[in-house]
Amino acid sequence: MSDDLLRAATQALRDEHADSDQAARFTRARVMASLHKVERRRSTKLAFLVPVAAVLVGSTAWGAATGRLPARFSPPPPASLERPAERAAELVKGAPRRARAARAAAQVAEAQPAEPQPAGAQPAETQPVETVAAKVRVAPPPAADPSHELYRAAHHSHFTRGDAAGALGAWEAYLAAAPRGRFATEARYNRALCLVRLGRRAEAQAALEPFAAGRFGGYRQREATELAAALGR
Amino acid sequence: MTVNVDLTLSYAGTDTDEQAELVARLARAEPAAIGAVYDDHHQAVRAFATRLVGDPASAEDLVHEVFVALPRAIRGFRGDSSLRTFLISIAVNHARHFVRSAARRRAAMDKLSLEPPRSSPDPERDLRRRELADALTRALDALPLDQRVAFVLSDVEERTSSQIARIVGVPEGTVRTRLFHARKKLRALLEQEGFR
Repeated sequence: MSDDLLRAATQALRDEHADSDQAARFTRARVMASLHKVERRRSTKLAFLVPVAAVLVGSTAWGAATGRLPARFSPPPPASLERPAERAAELVKGAPRRARAARAAAQVAEAQPAEPQPAGAQPAETQPVETVAAKVRVAPPPAADPSHELYRAAHHSHFTRGDAAGALGAWEAYLAAAPRGRFATEARYNRALCLVRLGRRAEAQAALEPFAAGRFGGYRQREATELAAALGR
Repeated sequence: MTVNVDLTLSYAGTDTDEQAELVARLARAEPAAIGAVYDDHHQAVRAFATRLVGDPASAEDLVHEVFVALPRAIRGFRGDSSLRTFLISIAVNHARHFVRSAARRRAAMDKLSLEPPRSSPDPERDLRRRELADALTRALDALPLDQRVAFVLSDVEERTSSQIARIVGVPEGTVRTRLFHARKKLRALLEQEGFR
């Protein structure tokens, strides 16, 4: 009985759906439109991607040929600079403490003349540019541009060792060697950060002011503005 | 459920060179080639889609999907079966979404009581047939997709187990098992609906 019922229902389903010419024509038009759209999207993608790829390949080749390619890859900023507002507050809050520590270290150094000191060693805060530059230049210059080595040393002091006083001198050494160098803008900004860390507020503000004013385009403008504002509080 | 369609089906009944050229033109998404294939096979694809999905609007969407997917899918076509069978296999692969949306729509319509009541059978033959077809469609909504596909291909489309096995890419024994369970559930569901 139920077999017959299922058979009858199946037959009914088979007979039920009559073909509609109008629906078929409409679906055909939809299919063609969709295919056309897919084709157009692919062409647009190609028209956009091919020039981008060509520019990328061309500029990479140019960079490799002229030897500028490795230098273009400056190291990424430290994670601590990702949130400039928080970092600014943190830097300003910790600056007097660090400055006191630096001064204390300098006083200890002066008070203990028996300890071996490198020639010309002075308290970090007042270390002259030439001294640090000379110290950094001890390393053999590997690249064609000697200022690159100064940059590397400054970067190491700043980001790896976290030595604000040493980094300040190193950035100044780099800027003295290459005032219009490829990394001069970055070096100026990092120098300003060192001044903030050392609690030298007035100098830090003066160093940050050109960035905040947009004299280097948009480079670190927002961060500099926020740092300068935090220092002014 | 996953319906694995064996795309290595063949295109029977046409000259090999002609077939190869057609396949190449389809792969390049040439509108004329797709239009020609649509004109030759849309009725079969639509009939299957409508029976499987149980809703003309969703079936039209599925037909659209099959022919839009054809240029990409045809790259897996090896030429062991007919192009029509291949198109049905594409429909099976794309059916899940359309079956679900049609089932949801039917459930909503039932809730709103927009369909005629089932408990009062009409003496007219057409109405009885309509009611049976609708009841079977609703019963099919209660089946897993693999059983539903097997039942529609076998009992409604009257294909053999071996053809179904090639379309859905499973052994014939699996097809027969799915059919057995599908029929059993459908009989019970139809009886529950009050059909005797």
